[in-house]
Amino acid sequence: MDLTLASQYVLAGVVIGVIYSLMALGITFIYGIMKMINWAMGEFFMIGSYVQYALITAVLGPSRWWLALPVAMGSVFLLGLAVQRLLLRPMYVGGIERRDEYATIVTIALMIFFRNLAIVLGGPNQYAPPDYARPVTLGTLPLSGNRFVALVGTVVLLALFFLAIKETWIGRALRGAAQNRVGIQTAGVDVLRLDMVAFGVGVALAAGAGALLAPDFLVYPENGSISTFKGFEIIVIGGLGSIMGSIVGGVLLGVIEALGSVFISAAYKDLYGFVLLIALLVFRPTGLFGERERTA
Amino acid sequence: MKKSLVPRLLLVLAALAAAASAALVTTMATPAFAQKAVKIGVLTPLSPPGDAGAGQFIVRGAKMGAEDVNARGGVLGGRKIELVIEDDSGTPEKGAAGLRKLATQDQVSAVIGQFHSSVMAAAQVLAEQFQVPVFATQASARGITEKHLNYTFRTHVIDPDRCQLWSRWIKERGFKRIALVAENTDYGVGMVEETKKILPTVAPGTELKTIIFDRAVVDLTPQLLEVKNWKPDLVINGGVGTPVYLMIKQAFDIGLIPAVPMLVSYDAPVRPEFWKNVGDKGNLVSFIVYYHPTMKLPARGEAFRKKYQEQFKEEPVYGAFNGYAQVELLADAINAAKSDKGEDIVKALLANKFDGWNGTITFTRGEGPYWQQWSPPMLIVQYTKPEMAFSDVKIVFPPELKTGDWVPAKH
Repeated sequence: MDLTLASQYVLAGVVIGVIYSLMALGITFIYGIMKMINWAMGEFFMIGSYVQYALITAVLGPSRWWLALPVAMGSVFLLGLAVQRLLLRPMYVGGIERRDEYATIVTIALMIFFRNLAIVLGGPNQYAPPDYARPVTLGTLPLSGNRFVALVGTVVLLALFFLAIKETWIGRALRGAAQNRVGIQTAGVDVLRLDMVAFGVGVALAAGAGALLAPDFLVYPENGSISTFKGFEIIVIGGLGSIMGSIVGGVLLGVIEALGSVFISAAYKDLYGFVLLIALLVFRPTGLFGERERTA
Repeated sequence: MKKSLVPRLLLVLAALAAAASAALVTTMATPAFAQKAVKIGVLTPLSPPGDAGAGQFIVRGAKMGAEDVNARGGVLGGRKIELVIEDDSGTPEKGAAGLRKLATQDQVSAVIGQFHSSVMAAAQVLAEQFQVPVFATQASARGITEKHLNYTFRTHVIDPDRCQLWSRWIKERGFKRIALVAENTDYGVGMVEETKKILPTVAPGTELKTIIFDRAVVDLTPQLLEVKNWKPDLVINGGVGTPVYLMIKQAFDIGLIPAVPMLVSYDAPVRPEFWKNVGDKGNLVSFIVYYHPTMKLPARGEAFRKKYQEQFKEEPVYGAFNGYAQVELLADAINAAKSDKGEDIVKALLANKFDGWNGTITFTRGEGPYWQQWSPPMLIVQYTKPEMAFSDVKIVFPPELKTGDWVPAKH
């Protein structure tokens, strides 16, 4: 076994795992608060990448890509608020019996709508924003400057997210809603507003990942599908609803794919994560950090 | 009030009947009613995950072909050609559904535009069932014509010839270690199998490493790191559409290219979007083309080239040429058959010679994949500076058509 290649695989796996965990965090955060899966996460990733591309090429210029990132996330946050208010909130207000099915149908419809809207507005072709930075070497791994920027950007966003969740009033309210939606209402918190914020923040995290990865993974209507796929893999590994699980799950998925590439072949990279996922579903169905549902 | 209502209603009905009769007479008098259009389906990728760029060029060419035929008076004594454009998204299931719709609902006389081999493989079975001639416009897998189906035709290269070409080039350049990174489609897997067969016979002593990746994947870093660690003399980029660009960018980022040369397996880099997507990272990439702006073309090809340049202010690409030529040759075949029925068109296609964009097209029922097959030329060209226009690229292989030397990266 070539140690240099092995270390390169592991580093590459950790880097991409951390970046994908941003997507997983968005999925799990929305689930944690609203108890619904947003199947259109990849499309919010895609919208983030399009906004980033449009801002860099038409408004801000290549050198101010870093300014485009918060604008892309902010605009997707606002879009998320609107989507939640118009399409998802009704299922929490009325006495809808099959809320999960409603959410599934609405978000899958959104996925198809946004994907086709992107084709109508931008055409089916690929776009690429200019590079954020020149290639770098991370230990033994030669790495695209864009991906290094995406790694640093992800770490910063994760830190800001944890800070907001831990230290702010709204963060505490969101944690409370995740633990007990009824209980938090007895404390006078408007849980429907929290849902809006949670959905907005969750999709903004996906948009952040899309914007950060735009130069490396290109901008096109289906660019979010793999990230969504990885995001769901990560939350099953880490435990649905667990914020820590989404980060650890992301890194673990990256490392498992890397080790599989070292010992078997890089050609089957995407298979190794599935083996881990199946093993976890058999031996620990709640995932690494998930908890069993408590029933009275 | 009730008494006056009946005559009024009768009056209105009479007026409506008179108007309807007048409209019917007018409609029947128009040539459109007397001469029902002959429909040709264009089933091609126009959205992801298909190579939508390729599909757009094919549609451009097909539209120009239909315009030219109609300007000359149409087919079968004045019937217009009408194109029915259908998106197959580069997926076999949508391709099959598209062909079924074209054959049954739109009742087209023939279908052109097939780009992805996997889609063509699904569509051609249905075309046989519905007796509608279907044309591979840029789908090159060997199996397409090797099945010897009566309604399948191709005016594009086949993969054994493609692999033969790069094996000869590899021998000429003296490359000893070749890495082929191909997608998991009929095209990609077919190329891997053909290269495994052909390379050892054409360039004995050459080592080949093959990696097949999932077409939907966006991060090719692990695969490319494995290739880099293997220390190849040449990397063949066997992606189609988005993966072509992803592989160029990511191979550059990990330091694989341009130190190790890359050959793109088809003509994707000729498109105007190439430099926008890969930037300077695409410099020194070599690629296979089927058309070069310096080619001397026969009258039909030359007329198309001029018209295309005037209309789009850019050099035409091969997909557009082939889409154009297929509509033109179908119009000729329909006229020769004196019928728009699939069965008659097939007979005419086999019995006649047709003017193509680059010479005379004939279809014979040859051995193996050379069944109802006509192949354009194949050339290897290279970009030697960033933002280089396709019209400036030099042909580096084959030797008899060479216009410039292949340039390695400066170490």
